[in-house]
Amino acid sequence: MMKNVPGSLLLLLVINVTLDAEKIGLRPPGKPVLTMCRSPEKETFTCWWEPGSDGGLPTTYALYYTKENSDAVFECPDYHTAGKNSCFFNKNDTSLWVNYNITVVATNTLGRTFSDPMDIDVVYIVKPNPPEELNVTVMEDKSWPFLRASWESPDKADTRSGWITLIYELRVKLEDDGEWEMHLAGQQKVFNIFSLRSGGTYQVQVRCKPDHGFWSEWSSTSYIKVPDYFHREKSMWILVTVFAAFIFLIAAWLIHMNGHSLKHCILPPVPGPKIKGFDKKLLKYGNSEEILTALVVPGFPPTTSSTCDDLLVEYLEVYIPEDQEMILEESKAERDLLKSEALRSDNDSGRGSCDSHTLLMEKCAQVKETDIGENPVMKEKQRHQQEWNESPLAYAHKDLLSPDMSGGRVKTWPSVFSPLPQQSAATLSQTNPLVMAKQHCHSDSLFPLGSTSSYFNHTAHSTEEAHRHSEFYTTNNHPQKLQARSDLNISNIGYSETPTSLQLPPMQPTSYVEVQEVNRDNMVLLQPAVSKGCCGDGRIDNREDYSKVKGMSSDKVLLLQRDVVSHEMDLSKEQKINGALEADSSSPQVSTVSPAQNKMSPTVDGYVDTAVMFTLPTH
Amino acid sequence: MSHGTSGTSGTSGSRIFMTVLYLVASCSSVPINDLLDRVSQRSDKIHSLSTTLSQELDSQFPLMGRVITPRPYMCHTSSLQTPNDKAQALQVSESDLLSLARSLLQAWVDPLLVLSSSASSLPHPAQNAIATKIRELQEHSKSLGDGLDILSGKMGPAAQNLSLLPYSGGNDIGQDRISRIIHLNFLMSCFRRDSHKIDSFLKVLRCRATQPQPEMC
Repeated sequence: MMKNVPGSLLLLLVINVTLDAEKIGLRPPGKPVLTMCRSPEKETFTCWWEPGSDGGLPTTYALYYTKENSDAVFECPDYHTAGKNSCFFNKNDTSLWVNYNITVVATNTLGRTFSDPMDIDVVYIVKPNPPEELNVTVMEDKSWPFLRASWESPDKADTRSGWITLIYELRVKLEDDGEWEMHLAGQQKVFNIFSLRSGGTYQVQVRCKPDHGFWSEWSSTSYIKVPDYFHREKSMWILVTVFAAFIFLIAAWLIHMNGHSLKHCILPPVPGPKIKGFDKKLLKYGNSEEILTALVVPGFPPTTSSTCDDLLVEYLEVYIPEDQEMILEESKAERDLLKSEALRSDNDSGRGSCDSHTLLMEKCAQVKETDIGENPVMKEKQRHQQEWNESPLAYAHKDLLSPDMSGGRVKTWPSVFSPLPQQSAATLSQTNPLVMAKQHCHSDSLFPLGSTSSYFNHTAHSTEEAHRHSEFYTTNNHPQKLQARSDLNISNIGYSETPTSLQLPPMQPTSYVEVQEVNRDNMVLLQPAVSKGCCGDGRIDNREDYSKVKGMSSDKVLLLQRDVVSHEMDLSKEQKINGALEADSSSPQVSTVSPAQNKMSPTVDGYVDTAVMFTLPTH
Repeated sequence: MSHGTSGTSGTSGSRIFMTVLYLVASCSSVPINDLLDRVSQRSDKIHSLSTTLSQELDSQFPLMGRVITPRPYMCHTSSLQTPNDKAQALQVSESDLLSLARSLLQAWVDPLLVLSSSASSLPHPAQNAIATKIRELQEHSKSLGDGLDILSGKMGPAAQNLSLLPYSGGNDIGQDRISRIIHLNFLMSCFRRDSHKIDSFLKVLRCRATQPQPEMC
């Protein structure tokens, strides 16, 4: 009975206290919550909890844990090292690869409350301390500075033995800028940062993480200021830019100034077709039929019956200077026809393309040289040709009427023409002046070119003239005047020399040569003429069409000679004919103009185309 | 003539021979450092995969895992004596470390087969991803095992010791859906731990090898 009294008294006391406590609102502690456990170096670990309500009474917390392979319950060895509401497990109490079951118990006078247990394995909860000794410096690299950040692993983490493997991460930010720039650094402890803004201040932080664990907290910020370096750069770039712009402007100006010539150089103008009667526009816009019909030039190829005679405009004109006329007095009658006209009157145009033997060469040379372009000589020739074509009769008539006109020119060539008046030197064929020129240059006519040059060589006093003549050859500017002078000279020369010195190239009487070129020695180089286009058939057998003009009768009839004595004799005859139409007494066969004598024996030159001659009187 | 040519060819031939020998010697002996580096990287990958897998499995069935998860000490590899802390681990010799790693790896060849065969029938929403990862695990484990075998050949006879840790679970991981999932979770957690052990041992070994790279260790 006595023993029961204290028990019952105690019970009453407890009930009283509890009732009192409840009156005040005291309760047992709330449930604590284990927030996390972390191990900084995989050797120790700490657990933190969050206390619940304390119930108004001083509450104590205790942490109890068990390991996986035993049921023994242990209490936290250290509540203080890690701060309040924490439990620190030192090395001795830490086992790896072992599951811990941890529970926190809150205890106050009214009761105790257990938290939810937490299962952890230490190796999975590694969270290292932040890296230490972060050091950032500015490094100079050819005026492009960069930052070099270096740090050390956290103090406790043992990376040296390989127990922990850490990887690092860096972040950089301009002081007033909002965004952090992250850089993963791997396992290295040094990192370079490029692309800095000049004069800016940067913040740098670093953190680390074990291979299988949690990221550490960021280290303390390191501030670094980048020096100004752009000014030096900028001024150089400005200079370079200005210089380049200057050069560019100059180049543009130069191109603009020479634009035209450059354009010609780079894009040369396309030569257009220069076919006579060819219409470029027709080619552009017309159809093929029109173009082809346009190409058919009336009059070419020659289909009319006039044949070569019409085209054969060439003839030689022989000039006899006035002082030479004395020599030829006896044949004055004929000479009148052949009187060398004036040098004065010889302003060209009347001339045939080759007015004299030498002039022939010269003109041919000129024609050759000024083949394509507009040549005053050519123009005149064309004009003459037109004149010729338009009024052949007139010419003939003129000739007949005025034998004195041309000053002793003998038209040894085509049709009928005895000395042409100057203005009537329409000896050009209708076709290409060049062809005409070639036709003109029949070397086996009066004076083969070689022989003339030989003339020059042989005569002493002719050298001067030869030079002069050479001058004439070389200059094309004033053909008219040149012709005149050369005529004079050559004719002089021709007379001063005997024909014996002549050296004829052994040519067939009927072969033609054409002037190939005039070389430096003022020799006209000849080549055998190809029987070209001009006249089709009639041309080939020239020989048969020509007869030598013996003379001119008083009633204005050309006396033709028929026989050919010999080359040399012919040449001598030629000479004489050049000087004046001398009657050759060797074979005084004079054939009047008649159609029956169509075929004539070929002679060297000085022939008149009897065919043409025949037709003339009918008109 | 022949003397001269043979003389020159002789010296050049011997030179060539020496060069070839040097090349063969240098090529055949892959440096241990490189080997260790490679195996460490492989084991790191394996552990990452296993962590991902176990987290995926756990996320779907947290409650069940928590309630009835078998304790890890019931893993079939728990009989193997492994260091429990750093002090112990650093005292283990290199060959023992390698042997431990090889034994652990070898112990998981069969369970991984079981896992991969039963993965297709898993009642899990991410079942395809899980099955793929398990297959990946198998491949990596195989290549790691090969690498470790080569490494053990270089490290002496002591490294050749293997502890047999047979898996006694058989092919069956459970009849019903829940038991299968639980079993799967359990296996994966065991593998996660063992792969972590292997990784740690190899990384310790890496830093202990001759001439380790200073920035690594």
